[in-house]
Amino acid sequence: MSVQALKKIKITEALNTNIWDVDSRPHITVDYEKCRKLCDKKICTLLCPAGCYTLSDDGILFSYEGCLECGTCRIVCPHEAVKWDYPLSGRGVQYRFG
Amino acid sequence: MLNIVGKFDVVVVGAGPAGSSAAYTLSKNGFKVVVIERGRTAGSKNLYGGRVYSKPLEEIYPEFKREAPIERWVKRERFSMMVGGELLTLEYYSRNSTSFTAYLSRLAGWMAQKAEEAGAIIVTDVRVDDLYTEDGIVKGIVSSGDVLKADVVVDAEGVNRLILERHGLVPKLLPRQVALGVKETIRLDKQKIEDRFGLLPEEGLAWFIIGNVTGGLPGGAFLYTNTTTVSLGMVVFLEEACKKVQKHVFDILEDLRTSQPFSDILKDGVLVEYGAHLTPEAGLDMAPKKLYTDGLLVVGDAAGFLLNLGYTVRGVDFAAYSGYLAAKTIIKAHSEGNFKAENLSVYQKLLEESFIIRELRRHRKIAKLLRSSELFTTYPEIFVDVARKLFNIEYTSPTLLQSIRESIKGKTSLLSLIVKMLSLVRAL
Repeated sequence: MSVQALKKIKITEALNTNIWDVDSRPHITVDYEKCRKLCDKKICTLLCPAGCYTLSDDGILFSYEGCLECGTCRIVCPHEAVKWDYPLSGRGVQYRFG
Repeated sequence: MLNIVGKFDVVVVGAGPAGSSAAYTLSKNGFKVVVIERGRTAGSKNLYGGRVYSKPLEEIYPEFKREAPIERWVKRERFSMMVGGELLTLEYYSRNSTSFTAYLSRLAGWMAQKAEEAGAIIVTDVRVDDLYTEDGIVKGIVSSGDVLKADVVVDAEGVNRLILERHGLVPKLLPRQVALGVKETIRLDKQKIEDRFGLLPEEGLAWFIIGNVTGGLPGGAFLYTNTTTVSLGMVVFLEEACKKVQKHVFDILEDLRTSQPFSDILKDGVLVEYGAHLTPEAGLDMAPKKLYTDGLLVVGDAAGFLLNLGYTVRGVDFAAYSGYLAAKTIIKAHSEGNFKAENLSVYQKLLEESFIIRELRRHRKIAKLLRSSELFTTYPEIFVDVARKLFNIEYTSPTLLQSIRESIKGKTSLLSLIVKMLSLVRAL
């Protein structure tokens, strides 16, 4: 996909340029109760560079598939709602130009 | 499953620059080493900005310059303040170069290959979950319940120090200790890269940009040229980002890519990869209290060994060299027949004698200065404004002092500007 001048692309398009071997088991789990009850700012929705966290009604929707394994959500979550580990068995993102 | 038989002298956690450099040096000296890497291949989980300083690596790997997957030697250094589409730029060109651009995935892969050729065993696809201890002494690692024993463990797990945290050797990582880096790798014709950046074949550019390039977050943007790609990215300090972020970080980067002059410079480019990684920013202030304990040495990002000077970043050479020094430590401890903390304490001494701790100490003050939002917003605005007044002449032109006085009106005082600039110069 071409990134022509001045045309912005969506994050999903950017993530699709990567090579992935997505695990069937999530390596991160989120305690949605905490997100809904305790968190009003929900900065994970802006700071997760892969856009894994999205707003839904009064809570959070999380999908681990596009995770870039950076660890940002683990440390910016003020309510410890994120249980975080690396994927197993070499799964996840496969950087070629990292 | 860990299908590894036998007893090893050393287990290394992570086949990044630090881990592989430790493994290579140890293997070359006859040690039985196994490196456990969570990625499918060594390097597949590594990501950084784009430039490496060469000298320390040449010391570790004698054939480095001849064999390593170097993209371009950085001959053009550029530092810009950008406000809107206006840039005020300082550029340094030299035919000599001490740094090069490279893909860290490939460079780390090459280092692991060197370690393997020297006799180390690289086990990929395996995540290390914990350290294995006997009576409080580290004696190996645990992965999915399996134990792999060794005389000593080198922890090169990277910036997310899950293993050290689990063991209580470091507290949980905090936003103020790290920055978030995001990077787009954009394929562009080799000739276009050279024409657009004024480069000869094999010459590279390293470009740092501050100003309104990071959506108002303290941090900066970077651009590096590889042979047939350009890396465009930004780094934002995470603590400040937590407080100030208004827009998704990817969209902030896209704003930059699609704004002048980048939209022209990168025209016809094709995105081939988008990645993100945390980067240690607190240096010695985030290092484990002890970089060694009984049977354990901590190297690379896990130890906080990264230097951000504002106009350049050094991480890979620090990581690799710390791995090299850890290997030297182990060689010496082995000759003493023991891997207790007291035998491994020479690691601290070697680090202090090397450039690593000296550089980190010397630049400790910068970390604080780099976080002031004035530096990233107010000052670029002032300086770009001054430049506009000086260079965009219609009929009459102001003096430099007049321009500065006008440009700082309502923003800061001349005195405070001078004091801040002096403190920055002194810290650098």
